Amino acid sequence: MTAESSDPGQWFDLLDLSVPADRKAIAQATDTISETLTSFEVPEEKRLQIALAVQEALANAVVHGCKNDPSKEVRCRLKRNSQGGILVTITDPGPGFSPLQLMDPQQPGRLYADHGRGVSLIRQLMDEVDFEHGGNQITMRKY
Amino acid sequence: MDINVRKRSEVQLIQLRGPLRLGSAVDELRQVIEEAVGQGDTRIAINLAEVPMIDSSGIGLLVRFLASTKQRGGNIKLVQPSKFAVQTLRLVGVLNLFEIFDNDDAAVESFA
Repeated sequence: MTAESSDPGQWFDLLDLSVPADRKAIAQATDTISETLTSFEVPEEKRLQIALAVQEALANAVVHGCKNDPSKEVRCRLKRNSQGGILVTITDPGPGFSPLQLMDPQQPGRLYADHGRGVSLIRQLMDEVDFEHGGNQITMRKY
Repeated sequence: MDINVRKRSEVQLIQLRGPLRLGSAVDELRQVIEEAVGQGDTRIAINLAEVPMIDSSGIGLLVRFLASTKQRGGNIKLVQPSKFAVQTLRLVGVLNLFEIFDNDDAAVESFA
């Protein structure tokens, strides 16, 4: 195991996954992340919140970023700091998007919509969420 | 995901086990509900006691069929959702759309 600094701003690598852009691969990647968090004794509620945020971000990357093309790959990196903080970065090869263009899924006319809740859910589950590189990379932190 | 379907008192009782999320889980549940609704069975109770996680795809499926069953005079009611499932439904603002019950019997009887 890597020797850890007590600097909470320093992040240590836990996982670096290449996930095929296939809907069936998302659950397996999410489970791998969840099992890794369990091995580091991350509390259950925090682990579930991170796992669901990862599930949503991977789904967006596969479905929108890669257009479900299994020849493409999504990169998923998991890190932690000495204070128990968790950082997840998910990158897809797509053109990106502007999160400002997303509609509010809680608008009355959209309550029964069958899609469009993923990013809103990620923002509420995680403490910090940043979209980078034109929107094809999301970085999420949970403290 | 394991899906078990029983019919009790004209109510389709669907028991799920495993995360309800994008992929085979959502696809299989969609097929089960579509078949039920296609046969005119629009009174549905879904037991979520063993579903640790529901993602936005699963939520989309539930609210879509909630709307379509209600339009046909039925309903989709939830039984024993986990604490995290309830939290997730609340975060996206759809928790109050559903009737929630502590056990299968109460959900089935509520359709009478």
